[in-house]
Amino acid sequence: MAPPALLLLAAFAVAAASLAHARFGIGSVRTWLFAPPRARAGAAVRYAFTTAFLPWAKESASGHPVSYLAGIVYHAGIFAMLLALALSLTALQAPPLLANALSVLWGVALAAGLGLLVKRLADVALRAISVPDDFVANLLVDAALAAALAAALVPSARFVFQLTGAALLLYAPLGKLRHMLFLLTSRRLWGVFYGRRGVLP
Amino acid sequence: MTEAALRLLRTGLDATTAASLEACVRCNLCAESCHVFLSDRESASAPAAKVQQVARLYRRYHTLAGALLPRLTGARTLDDAALAELVEGGFGRCTQCGRCTLNCAVGLDPAAAIRFGRAMVSAAGLVPAGIKANVAAALETGNSMRIGADDVRETIAWLEEDLRATTGDPSITLPIDRRGARVLYALNPREIKFFPLSISAAAQLFHAAGESWTLSSTDFDITNYAYFAADRVAAGEIAGHLYARAEALGVRTLVVAECGHGYRSLRWEAPEYLRRPLPFEIRSFVEVLDEYLTAGRLRLDPSKNPERVTLHDPCNLVRNGGVIEPQRRVLRAAAQDFVEMTPNREKNYCCGGGGGLLAASEYTERRLASGRPKAEQIRRTAARVVVSPCHNCIDQLMELNRHYGLGVEIRTLAEVAADALVARPGA
Repeated sequence: MAPPALLLLAAFAVAAASLAHARFGIGSVRTWLFAPPRARAGAAVRYAFTTAFLPWAKESASGHPVSYLAGIVYHAGIFAMLLALALSLTALQAPPLLANALSVLWGVALAAGLGLLVKRLADVALRAISVPDDFVANLLVDAALAAALAAALVPSARFVFQLTGAALLLYAPLGKLRHMLFLLTSRRLWGVFYGRRGVLP
Repeated sequence: MTEAALRLLRTGLDATTAASLEACVRCNLCAESCHVFLSDRESASAPAAKVQQVARLYRRYHTLAGALLPRLTGARTLDDAALAELVEGGFGRCTQCGRCTLNCAVGLDPAAAIRFGRAMVSAAGLVPAGIKANVAAALETGNSMRIGADDVRETIAWLEEDLRATTGDPSITLPIDRRGARVLYALNPREIKFFPLSISAAAQLFHAAGESWTLSSTDFDITNYAYFAADRVAAGEIAGHLYARAEALGVRTLVVAECGHGYRSLRWEAPEYLRRPLPFEIRSFVEVLDEYLTAGRLRLDPSKNPERVTLHDPCNLVRNGGVIEPQRRVLRAAAQDFVEMTPNREKNYCCGGGGGLLAASEYTERRLASGRPKAEQIRRTAARVVVSPCHNCIDQLMELNRHYGLGVEIRTLAEVAADALVARPGA
């Protein structure tokens, strides 16, 4: 295995271990045990991970259609990029049609990421709550998306993609990128809260 | 001061809140879901900004990067200035209505995160004086207005006499401290002091439905200012007074009068604080009225309320309590022209008076300003009457009525329903 691939493998391991440590570090999630539920939480948890993502489900999405769309595309590109990063450690190759589609996705996702970065810089209220981590995280992800795009177009750029990906993975446990893990917990609890009380779905 | 708050931050943070603090990406898409932000458009009023006040402290004491690279992550040391900001953000700019939670793009609970900030403020002893005084009163006397048992009995006796005279029905009673009744009807002390007619309305409805019920002269208080202060120990103790009273009277159902946070704290939160199930059920009076109607135990004539009526949804009863449709069914039966506000139900705006702010006089100006979205909602309905099943909201709505010149009448659901009562044959 080439050095960039070894580094990437190590970065995956470090990121996974660090994120697992962070998740276990907050302790077990307290569930509500004593107030009898009005309804079952399961339907609302399913809603939280499905319908609640639709653009009309929440004002935060319906009131900001451009940001919503940018966020959806950005994250779709990131998921695909992380998958491609993992697959880059194997001998698997994407079929040409899929590779072309991914190239388009990563290009659009990169534009969305940069757009969100510009928004963070330009919007006064957003800038007021931003910290350096917001910009570092965005730039690292954007760099990884750009590298994924480059590797899809020029196979010899694969080692750049692996190095950039390794840097992203090593940074992930340090700051806001931890939300990739914690949003699963918080979203489930969001569903449990509203589900037990009979508010949603 | 900071030591106690720091101790709570280090050891008292539950995983649910920690997950929310970790998951917030500072996208700020929640801003417009907050009535405070809508009214002042200040960055500091956005829910994300208020969450970050707590999250920055969390990162400093709970994450490696926050401890080693505080500038990178925006981590902050807990000091007097940070606590002062938590007071301002958690109390001055937040009513804990939870509309940001409903609309959070990520799906975290900003209200819970901000509430933890309140808990730290509480540990530091910096809770606004008005809220603190009410907590002390409830712990010392069993109710937040220090009303003695004799005063309660006297008021109830007077109400019974008055009700018999006005209805011409000598069989109406307002039973008090009656063991073995099916229902204990617990009150907001403001009803005894300032709004006794809402007790009369409830009594008429219980009587018409043929309910076996009682009031209590002690530990009758459904309000819980310690819940507003996010002091779980005191909030559990205050709710425990009423639970113990319900157990002593041997009732099957504790019916909570029209009070949003009272319902939420008693029905949903306090059993978790006390970590014990309750031997009786807890219902809102709103739910009970709806059940009486459905069961045919009450007959209402909507023509007795001919004016246009709209409904305010108290956040703690509706969005955070799950009582959403019963009040609508009751109003449709009791009023001829019921119109909804927009938005409504769980999406409705806070009136601006929640979270204990009515007791925090230092925030009066902002409280009235943050009620503007609600005032505009009311105005758009062209209603003459605004019904709110929450005494706390009613106080705020009455002030908004004056402040914004709305020209409406603010009423409880029980009052409107009692006005629509049709006497049972033979009653």
